[in-house]
Amino acid sequence: MNNYETILIINPNLSSKVADFQKKFEKLLTDNSFEIKKVEDIGRRQLAYSINNHHKGHYLLYRMQGDPKNISEIETKIKYDEAIIRHLILAVKDLSGEDSVLLTEALENKNKKSESAEEPEKAVKEDKKLEESTKEVSDKEDSKDSPTEEEEA
Amino acid sequence: MKKFQLPNNFDYKNTDILKQFITETGKIVPARVTGISASNQRKVTKSIKIARFLALLPYTDMHQ
Repeated sequence: MNNYETILIINPNLSSKVADFQKKFEKLLTDNSFEIKKVEDIGRRQLAYSINNHHKGHYLLYRMQGDPKNISEIETKIKYDEAIIRHLILAVKDLSGEDSVLLTEALENKNKKSESAEEPEKAVKEDKKLEESTKEVSDKEDSKDSPTEEEEA
Repeated sequence: MKKFQLPNNFDYKNTDILKQFITETGKIVPARVTGISASNQRKVTKSIKIARFLALLPYTDMHQ
């Protein structure tokens, strides 16, 4: 039994049908005797570069446990699924039950948007400023993912 | 010298941390500039390369 983390980038045009896709994919995993520990629907996200002329992608993250023999079967299924524009299955040591940074980010963005954009500048800040603002947010939420600061002279 | 924040566990999903270690053109900053330990530099490099594959970070600034 190994621990795996699977990331799928779904065609953004099929974003509305993601629930069906998830059901299908989860069935595929359970059929291959994988135990799904956590599913994260991160949602549509801007891609850093275009993949097959898509500029956005719908990210899904699965944390699962299973037999390494069955991975190849899933890989071939994913390969011929045209809805998936990119995928990666990673073997990981531990499966954390916490939300990933991507999901918390996506939720924050959603909240920001729903707050009717009080501070629209915040979204378009430079890297350094962005770090500071994320620090503030993580301080407020007391998130466990907050990075340690190591200062080097 | 620029300060670099290191996380507890390296995670390809934490792009804010990884963005410190790439230049404006998307290149990975060399260890002699970052000044972090060799082991940490390897972890950073690996995470950046995974994040690039998943389109979380750019390979270059020349993407169309």
